[in-house]
Amino acid sequence: MIEIGEEEISLDRMIQRVRRNEAGAVVSFLGTVRDDGILGMEVEAFRDPALSEMEAIRQEAMSRFSLTAAEVSHRTGRLAVGESILAIVCSAAHREEAFSGCRYILEELKARAPLWKKEISSDSGGHWVEGHGR
Amino acid sequence: MKIKVLAFAAFGGILGREREVELEEEASVKDLLDELASIVPGFREAAFEPSGILRDYVLLMVNRKRIDPERDLSRILVEGDELAIFPPLAGG
Repeated sequence: MIEIGEEEISLDRMIQRVRRNEAGAVVSFLGTVRDDGILGMEVEAFRDPALSEMEAIRQEAMSRFSLTAAEVSHRTGRLAVGESILAIVCSAAHREEAFSGCRYILEELKARAPLWKKEISSDSGGHWVEGHGR
Repeated sequence: MKIKVLAFAAFGGILGREREVELEEEASVKDLLDELASIVPGFREAAFEPSGILRDYVLLMVNRKRIDPERDLSRILVEGDELAIFPPLAGG
């Protein structure tokens, strides 16, 4: 499942959905708002193209790393320090594939999905994080 | 003809998240960007180099498909087309 939304991410539910009898490994990644002297973060998405790109990346990972299942959930809206931004969960027969697939989805998502983050601070109001994605 | 313009991140702050722009028939993507530069304060400085070349951090989609700013600015738009403008991606 691919999701973009304002709701809190349930990593437990995502893990339950990717469990398979033939999978011996489940790897999860949770990205959270880091306290860099900010109040929080605002995440914006170009929703439909972002969902399409995330699904394309998920399918690439499934195929390249022989994953048995993969899910990605990205939050949007105002997030406080410590809150979850992004969760990726991958299952595979063996740990190497599950780790590699999770890492692949993370790096490709950062480079390819139309999403942006604004750091909210008390002094300047906020500034958009300089992106490196294409 | 009317073209919908969507803008994200810093460009959303300058252009507004969504607006419609009225253009002559057979206007190009470059014509649309020039029109925005003439009607929206701050957009020309944000999007163009002083020489008039589009800054390399300006990314564009027409009808949700990425276009190459080096090759496709002459693309002719038609009624109902949608242009999205945004800076380099920064999710995750």
